[in-house]
Amino acid sequence: MTTAGKIVNNEIHLQSIHHQQTQPHQLHPPEHSDGEPETKKQEMPLDTSTYSLALLRLDGRRWNELRRIHAQINTQAAADGSSYLEMGNTKVLCTVTGPAEGRQAGQRGAKDNEAKVEVEIGFAGFSGLERRKRKSDKRTLEMQHTLSTAYSSLLLTHLYPHSTITLTLHILSQDGSMLAACINASTLALIDAGIPMSDYLVACTAASSATTSDSDNSDPLLDLNNLEEQELPFLTVGTLGRSDKVSVLICESRVRMERMESMLAVGIDGCKRMREILDGVVKEYGKRFS
Amino acid sequence: MPREVEISIIEREFIQNALQEGIRRDGREFDAFRPLELNFGDEYGVADVQLGKTRVIVRISVDVVAPPPERKFDGVFQIVTEFSPMASPAFEVGRPTDAEVILSRVLEKAIRRSNALDTESLCIIAGLKCFALRADVHIVDHDGGLIDASCIAVMAALQHFRRPDVIVEGEKATVLSTRERDPIPLSILHQPLSVTFSYYEEGNLFLVDADLAEEQVRQGEIIITMNRHGEICQVNKYGGAPVEPLDLLNLNNVALQKVKDISKFIQQKLDEDAKKRDAGGLMAELSAENAR
Repeated sequence: MTTAGKIVNNEIHLQSIHHQQTQPHQLHPPEHSDGEPETKKQEMPLDTSTYSLALLRLDGRRWNELRRIHAQINTQAAADGSSYLEMGNTKVLCTVTGPAEGRQAGQRGAKDNEAKVEVEIGFAGFSGLERRKRKSDKRTLEMQHTLSTAYSSLLLTHLYPHSTITLTLHILSQDGSMLAACINASTLALIDAGIPMSDYLVACTAASSATTSDSDNSDPLLDLNNLEEQELPFLTVGTLGRSDKVSVLICESRVRMERMESMLAVGIDGCKRMREILDGVVKEYGKRFS
Repeated sequence: MPREVEISIIEREFIQNALQEGIRRDGREFDAFRPLELNFGDEYGVADVQLGKTRVIVRISVDVVAPPPERKFDGVFQIVTEFSPMASPAFEVGRPTDAEVILSRVLEKAIRRSNALDTESLCIIAGLKCFALRADVHIVDHDGGLIDASCIAVMAALQHFRRPDVIVEGEKATVLSTRERDPIPLSILHQPLSVTFSYYEEGNLFLVDADLAEEQVRQGEIIITMNRHGEICQVNKYGGAPVEPLDLLNLNNVALQKVKDISKFIQQKLDEDAKKRDAGGLMAELSAENAR
């Protein structure tokens, strides 16, 4: 039972081999599958062997299913742009301020001829399992850096010289795919703020399910929750709009290089679906003005 | 705050035009590292890496401490980075720049989180005593490629380092000095090394080991850390211009080749150093003659 993602001629092909009789395979499952159970806080570590038997994950999803995604834009009246995004139990609130005069205009690494993108990420005390005060640790700083560099090249910053665009993200609940959720929420908020950008930047996570290094039958998994993230090697991939082009790629776990291809293919496929969902949210909001 | 001097427009265009014609500023191949030099200090665990004009010195030191209560069976290992103002006028002590945060985070993920060092071997008495290993990374000269150079330096220093031996009797541990007992090398599980790719021309042109000027012109970077067995320890592409996924996969293969070459180079230098320390072998040690 191998399900492999392959990148051929720069196009992603997801091939599913075997086990069709036992499990009806959904390559494109309904985007808002509300019936699927939310992630439960289970004490047991993720046992990957049960996955290979039933081909269902802990929260009842198949390998290529996203979690329930709920998104809203223009949630904060005071901000220039705002969004609220849920990916399963990961919940992020994002507000955009600007383009406005920065706190230290013209200083601190800002170029004179384009806008600077500042990112602040705050974790709510109740967002994780343990109530822990996390003052900007290096991991958060790295996430901020990722978002800021990704959006600096995506937004048409040259239209706003001497200004600062500030993205403020509040993590209300953490359950895996944090960076992906932050990217998706930021994209929505920036669209709401009306800041011109070349395309949607969307992201999701993908993992490789086999933990042993030399077994061939590893299913790639899409959109991980916290438990899966702790157990499996995974990566976060962010693509630009409808294209396959990768803008953000972060992999923090040790994984065989042969695994990369299938993980990347599934991740990019997930991003495409994510784009459609976000696009739907924006269009739904736009209908109010027609 | 001092800001890094921006590259002039004319230089920027020169580099870009030259790259379009397939020429790098210093005449290197696109996938070639600058000349790499690695020297070890007189003490164990001091490595001095020079990658072109970039220079990084790493020193490993060890201490005996009580382990954190949540990790009773592990030792402590931390990597501390220090950007000296000597390396570049843009660096300031005590105020980490973005580059410094990224460097320390990348080293942390590449070496610490990928379990390159077996921290369990640093445990002396579970829950009471363990070795605390500290790698101080000093950037002495900055001409681009800091991440690659630092990663090589830390891994070389860890392989070069010897920790003192200990005798454990019940609850009592005695650390033996190097005179009493030969110090022991650390148990290294694998050797992660980083290769940074800079890309230009909307992701159509990839350079290995860009120098500072090339770094300032690039559209983005991809940092790949892997070991010579072909295991990826981390991949980082923080934004920048988008690239084709197929190119990303190809970069992995290039990185693997580079990592194999550098691993071999480090091993060769380690062997040379070991031979130098062991001058004369056992016979010289047994002899009563000394240098006086």
